[in-house]
Amino acid sequence: MATKINPAFSKELKKYGTVNMNACYNCGTCTAICSLSTNDESFPREMVRNSVLGLEDEIKSSLKPWECYYCGECTTNCPQEANPGELMMSLRRWLTAKYDWTGLSGLLYKSLPLTILAMAIVFVAVLFFADSVSYNLEQMLHFGHYFEIIAIGIMMVVIFLPNLLTMWYFTIVKTNTKVPFKYYFTALKDLFVNMFTQKRSKDCDEKNNFRWLEHLVLVLSYLSLLFTTVFLNWFATNNVFVIIFGYVVSLLIFMVTIHFVSDRVKKNKSLNKFSQPSDWFFVIWLLLMGITAFLVRLFIDIDLLESNKWMYIIHLTVLAQWAIIIVPFGKWTHFLYRSFGMYFAKLKSIKGTK
Amino acid sequence: MKNRIGVYICHCGGNISDYVDVEKVRQAVEHEEGVVLSKTSMFACSDSNQNEMVNDIKEFGLDGVIVASCSPKLHLTTFRNVTERGDLNKYTYVHANIREQGSWAHSDDTDGATEKAIHLVKAAIAKSRYAEPLYTNQFEAEKTIAVIGGGIAGLKAAISLSDKKSTVILIEKNDKIGGHTAEWGDLFMSDEKGNELINRIYSDLAQRENVTILTGAEVASSKGSIGNFTLKIRKRPNNESDPMEIMEVNVGSVVVATGFDHYVPQKGEFDYMINDNIITLPEFKQLVDKSTGNRLVYKGKEINNIAYIYCVGSRQEDGENTYCSRFCCTSVIHTAIVAKKKFKNINNIHLNRGIRTYGKQELLYSESLELGDIYLQFDYNNPPQIATEGKKTVVTVKDILSAGKELTLETDLIVLVTGMVPRADQSIGTMFKLPKGRDKFFNEIHMKLRPVETVIDGITIAGACQGPKNISESVNSALSAATKSYSYISKGTLETEPIVAEINQDLCVWCGKCQEACPFDAIEKQEVNGKPIAIVNTSVCKGCGMCAPICPEDAINLIGYTSEEIMSMIDVLA
Repeated sequence: MATKINPAFSKELKKYGTVNMNACYNCGTCTAICSLSTNDESFPREMVRNSVLGLEDEIKSSLKPWECYYCGECTTNCPQEANPGELMMSLRRWLTAKYDWTGLSGLLYKSLPLTILAMAIVFVAVLFFADSVSYNLEQMLHFGHYFEIIAIGIMMVVIFLPNLLTMWYFTIVKTNTKVPFKYYFTALKDLFVNMFTQKRSKDCDEKNNFRWLEHLVLVLSYLSLLFTTVFLNWFATNNVFVIIFGYVVSLLIFMVTIHFVSDRVKKNKSLNKFSQPSDWFFVIWLLLMGITAFLVRLFIDIDLLESNKWMYIIHLTVLAQWAIIIVPFGKWTHFLYRSFGMYFAKLKSIKGTK
Repeated sequence: MKNRIGVYICHCGGNISDYVDVEKVRQAVEHEEGVVLSKTSMFACSDSNQNEMVNDIKEFGLDGVIVASCSPKLHLTTFRNVTERGDLNKYTYVHANIREQGSWAHSDDTDGATEKAIHLVKAAIAKSRYAEPLYTNQFEAEKTIAVIGGGIAGLKAAISLSDKKSTVILIEKNDKIGGHTAEWGDLFMSDEKGNELINRIYSDLAQRENVTILTGAEVASSKGSIGNFTLKIRKRPNNESDPMEIMEVNVGSVVVATGFDHYVPQKGEFDYMINDNIITLPEFKQLVDKSTGNRLVYKGKEINNIAYIYCVGSRQEDGENTYCSRFCCTSVIHTAIVAKKKFKNINNIHLNRGIRTYGKQELLYSESLELGDIYLQFDYNNPPQIATEGKKTVVTVKDILSAGKELTLETDLIVLVTGMVPRADQSIGTMFKLPKGRDKFFNEIHMKLRPVETVIDGITIAGACQGPKNISESVNSALSAATKSYSYISKGTLETEPIVAEINQDLCVWCGKCQEACPFDAIEKQEVNGKPIAIVNTSVCKGCGMCAPICPEDAINLIGYTSEEIMSMIDVLA
């Protein structure tokens, strides 16, 4: 079947952050230099080609954007400065928008004002809530604790489950991959290993080991903080071990994200040269999460929170913006889709496509 | 008979001595009759060895010199000059080629190669014994130069010659000068349009007193040779009812700049002339240049998606035109960029077979990519397929850059990127007997070493009559050809090589066979003492020797290659 090319697609993709993609003259240096690309699964040139030609179906059914961990070697070595690494990043943004049944991801990626508006609405909502409980700290803390559990649960069922099913449909069903049912279980190991360790990114380049470690620390700290606040009720507990653990993980989040932000400001590597609003929001809000959580607990421990309720309101705002906007519709989803991308790739590699 | 002959055998670094035992060759010939000196040399052509040779000639009183080395094409002149510096007549020098005919040809058989080299050197010695001193012929040359063709190459050649204070006659077949350049709109790397450029050059030329421009004029015939050509020119009168104006001009040299024709696709080639939405590159350039407004409209329809099919009529693997037309990639990309900037909503899709925007033209390719032009690459054996679906013209192509995936595109206009072909009107080439290459364009003597000279002395070629060229390349070759043509006649006198055919008037009975054999038209029938015989025009004769062996009466001798010399060589070789 002949595929129709669509010259207008590159304009659409530009809104997701591509930089000079059309300059590509197909030399293949990017693919040759990529340490993750293999003969069977070769990228990024192929994805650049599909993007230039506007072969949307090919891109939608591909897992390759998720197989890239953006070490930036391709962008550094591209003789045309076509930024293949940023193209892969943009494709990940575009794909999350395509997986998302609500369509909000796409809107937020493409429009900064809309993102700011959404953040502002959440802020106002938090203020309304605080006002409705007459700024009662205990009630706010109580609500904040349950908000997290509820938000996570709702997002899982309403957003992520259908979106992951869409992703599965695009990449497995539509490509006619016949995977015996039991493999869905045997491959689960890959899903969790990749989700928690991102071990594949270690293959990117030796120099990136520190970045991988930072990333690992960040993921584990983030999940630990989530666990500590939600299940161990950090802000209410008297268990010294839990309190200290919370301090440590929030501090780690804070430190690693500070480093990430400063790198993005310095633009010292290919991978952080081009920051989209979604990148900034993700890393800054993660930073704010760490710092505000840390301060809230600190204020509790030195008995300041009662007289400084605004501290908790700020934390709650950050938390709500994070949980309602950034997690379901922003860059956080990459964490999920990438893990599932590796999982689906494993399924495909077991059977191979028809 | 020479009896003080010096023989030099060259190692050529190792090119010869790796396969030929040069010392053995020297020993084999050192006691040959007449040889008084024999040496080997690492590089016979080196300055130090040349000086040694000059000293040897004087010290040993040599009367003949032989160097056994590379092809005479490379160093015959070098060593002739060495003997001249030793106060010998340079035509007594004899060259033996033991590299191309020895070591290189028989690198698998060193003994055989050595044996052959010995024979070749001995043959050279045999020739050397009979070699006579020869002297060049001198004659006066006409200082006017004719330029045939008034395109960009011809115009620039005329300006260059005029600058050199040479009298120039510019002959253009059409009523207007400018050739194809005047057709173009915007040019790459220039703010001028094609016709503006031509007008500027023309107004410069028109002011020059030593330049005569003849438009509507054709060269009907040519007589004579380098230094003294007589061209008969037919000029169409301004008033149609008037008779043709015939004139004769005498020129010393001719610059041929007759240009090219656009390739015109056959009916049905990529649906040309079948589908209304298919035009050629020159037609598209005209369309883009002439269209106004902010939308590109063709046949009343707005054009958005344009597909360009490259290499139409060029690089044919099974057709006549196997060559690359060089200019078309650049030309079409340039025009596509102009169209995209000039009109709204233009999508350019280039269906190419590899892009050849060499040199600074690469900038255009980069610009076009960055503007979002799409490039699909197809194989000659899988050309794009054109189909009409309702009002749409749909092109299907297997894109090499997408691993041979079959892609379709809807187009509003298809541009066939046609290349250059030799002029259909070959009268000038036929008249001057200019040789043509495999591509049917006029051929130079050597692509790199003598790029504008032809084997016909006095005739140079400039511009796209020699092969596809863009404007700047045409201008470069025109300036080169003008300088070369001028250098032939700048002294006012010309020398010709003494090595020419010589007719024995007593033996000749005029059978005409030599005239048929002569590739240079150097032999004419003339009446001498009431008897028709063959006469050689020594300024045209190249000394090729084609006439000598076919003469039934053995009345032709090639000076410098007399029967005596050749027979003695054959005796040694046999």
